[in-house]
Amino acid sequence: MTPRTQYWDIFCAVVDNYGDIGVSWRLAKQLVLEYPLIINLWVDDLFSFSHILPQLDPSLMTQYIDGINIHQWNTPLDIVYIPGHVIIEAFACKLPNIVIEQLNQRQDSLDATPPLWLNLEYLSAETWVDECHGLPSLQTSGLKKFFYFPGFTPKTGGLICEKALFNEREQWQSHPQNKLDLFTQLGLTGIHNHDEVISVFSYETQALAALCALWQTSEHKIHLLIPKGRSLRSLIHLLPCPIEALVSGQQIVHQSLTLHILPMTDQQGFDRLLWSCDLNIVRGEDSFLRAQWAAKPFIWHIYPQEDDYHLVKLEAFMQIYCDNLAPEIAKSWSMLNVAFNQGKQSDVKMHWHNLDSERLAILHHAQKWPNIALNNADLATRLIQFVQSCEDAALK
Amino acid sequence: MKTAHEIRPGNVIMLNGSPWVVQKTETTRSGRNAAIVKLKLKNVLIDSSTESTFKGDDKLDDIILERLECTYSYYADPMFVFMDAEYNQYDVEADNLGDAAAYIVDGMEDTCNVTFYEGKAISVELPITIVREVTYTEPSARGDTSGKVMKPATIAGGATLSVADFVKTGDMIEVDTRTNEFKKRV
Repeated sequence: MTPRTQYWDIFCAVVDNYGDIGVSWRLAKQLVLEYPLIINLWVDDLFSFSHILPQLDPSLMTQYIDGINIHQWNTPLDIVYIPGHVIIEAFACKLPNIVIEQLNQRQDSLDATPPLWLNLEYLSAETWVDECHGLPSLQTSGLKKFFYFPGFTPKTGGLICEKALFNEREQWQSHPQNKLDLFTQLGLTGIHNHDEVISVFSYETQALAALCALWQTSEHKIHLLIPKGRSLRSLIHLLPCPIEALVSGQQIVHQSLTLHILPMTDQQGFDRLLWSCDLNIVRGEDSFLRAQWAAKPFIWHIYPQEDDYHLVKLEAFMQIYCDNLAPEIAKSWSMLNVAFNQGKQSDVKMHWHNLDSERLAILHHAQKWPNIALNNADLATRLIQFVQSCEDAALK
Repeated sequence: MKTAHEIRPGNVIMLNGSPWVVQKTETTRSGRNAAIVKLKLKNVLIDSSTESTFKGDDKLDDIILERLECTYSYYADPMFVFMDAEYNQYDVEADNLGDAAAYIVDGMEDTCNVTFYEGKAISVELPITIVREVTYTEPSARGDTSGKVMKPATIAGGATLSVADFVKTGDMIEVDTRTNEFKKRV
């Protein structure tokens, strides 16, 4: 095995509970697993992080898990930062001043070079990402930072996807017993192989309440797997008690619809959950991407932004996603997603109906999509290539 | 200091010991309302251009150079000639105007700020709002009167932008030169 000679630092400020850290953790794990790198992950909120990494001890300043050095990022830093080969600020977080000072010192030094400095940005399917990916950001001090944009086209930085993921998923999905075993393991009972299972990890929206009303009168059984969180705030009228009093595994039956309260799970468990459902309603960036890799139909509840700008981002993604889809099916799927994001109750029900007869076509498209989206290279691979090309350019 | 979000064409910023004229700005939104600002820059000292990206709230060292209020006089390829109140004329390379060049029209009376570096006119900053004639736009497709439906238009000088659907060829419109956005019909 190639010795681990380079070390990289990833800084992550937790803004949403599991989004930023979810992506940072997946990237750190993949880099360590697939490349000869030492990774230091600096996180400002270990408590939130521990929800998706149960073995993490939020009280420790530094710990070593899955081959990664995880550091508590306090302000000011109380762990010495020693510049490595690459430094990544995840999602526009601001590096600590002491780190910037050290980079500047290296810039001015004849004996040392500063690490390659990258700002890993949010995922977007908008066309401007192609033009901005990889551009330098000249700093007053003479340092250069590079903007790294994940994305769906060959001109972007790619999408996080572990090399073995699709094989693991295919193996999992080829044995229906796997999903039933998973549900049992999660404490979810009464789900049969032919029942429809839908996972929900959304923000609050009345669109969800509308779909639940529809699903209650379904001709077949529908199971909604939903964690104690923001989605449930839209379904209070269906709950027998306050959200806080609900317990994992609890079932709430309303005619054909059964709500199951999901326990918290780690990232691997969440992936398997998505692989095991017939439809996944996901949000943000990390779960959105994992739902695509699940090769199952999904609805994306995108993070709401001012002036409804999130709808522009949704539209950009839908255009790419629907490129190879029959126009009528593309329209139905897109309208369903828009209605869900707009919280329009009657529209979301109407588009759900319209899509119902196209479910098989949507599933086939979802199965083909991961390989199309990946464009032959995942984010970690392209990141390594990008770092290499920057280093080569610096030597010339 | 200005944030990257506040930077506009014609500003001069100091990077790595060199002054750079901002020729073009493009602002886009990233996640959670964070803005990404892409700047097209030209080095004042050497013939070198580059594109650079910033977070919207990144602080940039905009340098205050000598400035004079001038009006546009005429174009002498490849120079735009501006004139101050005392009839002194200053040549500015067309390249240095960047996107601002698309707003320059003969006879315009807008007061511009011409910036000098070591005695040489290096950039021109337009007023924030200007009024220009729409030289071409498609007829209204939907009879929209709300102003929310937009369509492309070309204005005198050559700039293109999105305008409200009710705007017609020949109309005078107010444009924000910082963002190239249609403000209203005048």
